Amino acid sequence: MRQFLARRIFHSLISLVGLLVLVFFLARLTGNPGDLYLPLDSSIETRQAFTEKHGYDDPAYIQFGRYVRDLLSGDMGESVRKKRPALEIVLEAIPVTLMLAASAMFLALVGAVIVGARAAYRPGGVFDRVASISSLVSASAPDFWIAITAIIVFSVHLQWLPTSGLGGPIYWIMPVCVLLIRPFGLLVQVVRSSMLTVLSAAYIKTARAKGVKEKSIVFVHALRNAMIPVITVAGDQAAAMANGAVIVETIFGWPGIGKLMIDSIVQRDFAVVQAAILVTAFVILSINIVVDLTYAVLDPRIRKRS
Amino acid sequence: MNKMKNIVGATLLALPLSLVFAEGKIVTVVLSEEPDVIDPCEASRSNIGRVVKQNIAETLIEIDPTDGSITPRLATEWEQVDELTWNFTLREGVMFHDGAEFNAETAVTAINRALNPTQDCEIRLKFFGNINVMPKAIDATTLEIKTDTPQPILPTLMGTMVIASPNTQAEKGTMNPVGTGPYQFVKWDAGQEIVLERFDGYWGDQPEAEGARFIWRTESAVRSAMVKTGEADIAPNIALQDATDENTDFSYFNSETSRLRIDMTQAPLDDLRIRKAMNYAIDRDALIGSLFSEDVVPMTQIVVPSINGHNTDLTPWPYDPAKAKELIAAAKADGVPVDNEIVVLGRIGMYPNATEVAEAMAAMLAEVGLNVKLSMIEVAEWIDIFTKPYAEDRGPVLQASQHDNNNGDAVFSVFFKYACEGPQSTMCDEEVDKGITAASAAVGDERREIWQQVFKRLHEEIVPDVQMFHMVGFSRVNPRINFTPSISTNSEVQIGQVTFK
Repeated sequence: MRQFLARRIFHSLISLVGLLVLVFFLARLTGNPGDLYLPLDSSIETRQAFTEKHGYDDPAYIQFGRYVRDLLSGDMGESVRKKRPALEIVLEAIPVTLMLAASAMFLALVGAVIVGARAAYRPGGVFDRVASISSLVSASAPDFWIAITAIIVFSVHLQWLPTSGLGGPIYWIMPVCVLLIRPFGLLVQVVRSSMLTVLSAAYIKTARAKGVKEKSIVFVHALRNAMIPVITVAGDQAAAMANGAVIVETIFGWPGIGKLMIDSIVQRDFAVVQAAILVTAFVILSINIVVDLTYAVLDPRIRKRS
Repeated sequence: MNKMKNIVGATLLALPLSLVFAEGKIVTVVLSEEPDVIDPCEASRSNIGRVVKQNIAETLIEIDPTDGSITPRLATEWEQVDELTWNFTLREGVMFHDGAEFNAETAVTAINRALNPTQDCEIRLKFFGNINVMPKAIDATTLEIKTDTPQPILPTLMGTMVIASPNTQAEKGTMNPVGTGPYQFVKWDAGQEIVLERFDGYWGDQPEAEGARFIWRTESAVRSAMVKTGEADIAPNIALQDATDENTDFSYFNSETSRLRIDMTQAPLDDLRIRKAMNYAIDRDALIGSLFSEDVVPMTQIVVPSINGHNTDLTPWPYDPAKAKELIAAAKADGVPVDNEIVVLGRIGMYPNATEVAEAMAAMLAEVGLNVKLSMIEVAEWIDIFTKPYAEDRGPVLQASQHDNNNGDAVFSVFFKYACEGPQSTMCDEEVDKGITAASAAVGDERREIWQQVFKRLHEEIVPDVQMFHMVGFSRVNPRINFTPSISTNSEVQIGQVTFK
């Protein structure tokens, strides 16, 4: 197990270094940040002075050398726009996204397991049909539209919830609900189909023949084996969310990493782009390791193979 | 079970009470983006200006947005001593929020800080990039400003210079802006809000609002909903489609003027008849109220009517496709290559419906027989093409652009767009250049008249643009307050002007 973990961490580090190099050089290909930062009417001399001051006129490999040197001493550079350390800005944003993503994923996963398992128990029944159709709808719903509609209905007309912003529990309801709708729909579908396969397996019939209680068959014997594909999809969804729930963050005014990343890419704020990608990559690689470990816990075959 | 139900019910009932509504005498302003910094020397950026300018930190001179005239603020009087020197008499009894006294010495420190080249302050980059400014304290209330080139409208220029406390760190940006304004900075919760409170030691009349909260939401629909629900008082910048309530929504010239810049160096656009034909080809009335707001006004020059130098005698180009075809035919007969492909270059998201507008313009130009191709590009590529140095093989291009000038005088527009040396000019006309030089050195009526002549020549004889519109902006204001958005709302929101009903 320890060897398995060490190998996964080593692989992750290689990916991280590759990503770092790629992001650094790709960002430089987009052009000079001064073009976007300086007022349109700036003189050519002003533009040159800005470029020289920030070292954008040096060859990319020299800039990269500087970046690696600073990175090794823990310095991820300063935001040109915000005039603050890039890492500080990223570390302010990431907890917001992680809290939002964790709440939405937890609720989506728990809800999907209950609804999906129940639907699979009597395929073709009323519950199954309702669950299948509604999960399909929610898996394909555009979150931008849902978010704006929710604001108009629950904030403007009913005045039950605040339109947006970060605050007490009441401020979480709409963003979390909007964010979980898609993964919930998707996970219900996955749980249902995975459970259908498992419930028709021979060992379930054996368990039934032995007189094991139905509840125990579904939630103990079947569910554990049905969870592998669910964890795969859930891990994928969680990684996407950790990358920033851009639309939800933008509409509800949550200062998360997704919006920060998009804004800094658009503004060519290289230091922030690099720091944000590095930190999120770290989070995503951690999620992947947790997913792999969960496989190993759930399935002894994977444990043995490793 | 019943007990549980009661607890849940009580919690649900109590939840809405914890909503933050705009109440008391605190004004909540919802901006479109979080300011990157809130340094006074960056106050010319619109969302930073809305927080800082005239709220936290003030200018020596204030520009009246309605007619571009200048009025006293921290300076009470000013006079030109010689061609290169101006003296400003400063207001007495003014204190900064940190207790420092405002006088000529501290004003010099503030100006030097804003113009310090080790910082990339936008006020320096935008307004003082090519001027060497040497401020000096003559005595406590007399500030002398010398420049290396004559600056006849230095007082107007000083309307952009925001005065920060002398204790503000000189070499780096500040997160803690301190000025002399009616409100002092309390805190900035990154990502969430900026809070100001009324400054009791303010030199002027005490404003009614006790404080202000600045928050930000990217979506216009959300910003307008926040004023509707009472979560905010002022949304300074909402989209046309969200400005649906005539009781709360204001429209006003936002100082932007939109046009297609004609690259006059490239055939067939180097022919005056073709440039005139393109202006006759545009059905501006059809665009008003459809792709543009009903309140936009066809332009005749690049500055809005409130800017010094605007010429009210000019009339917009009429829609006359027959005349356009006639001019093109005449040019063709003289050997002008009218069949060359002309690119209409639009910028994605430049203003609402930017793509549809570019499509409509291209279609109208094609209608009169020109060979037009539409291309929509992103902002970075757009800037690259828009500013000098230009690519040699660029071909004939009509570049959609929008220009903002709410700084009181035409000088902030004309040189950049139309002078031979202008960084975004594609034309070179000796007479226009002479006019720009003469107007830049003149003052008062003479200055205005020279600008008006320049605009007349541009409009009637040079035709460097396919003219479009003076644009409008929309703001939503909570009915519980009195506040009238205007052209200046683009760059500042003076909380001190807000009163409560």
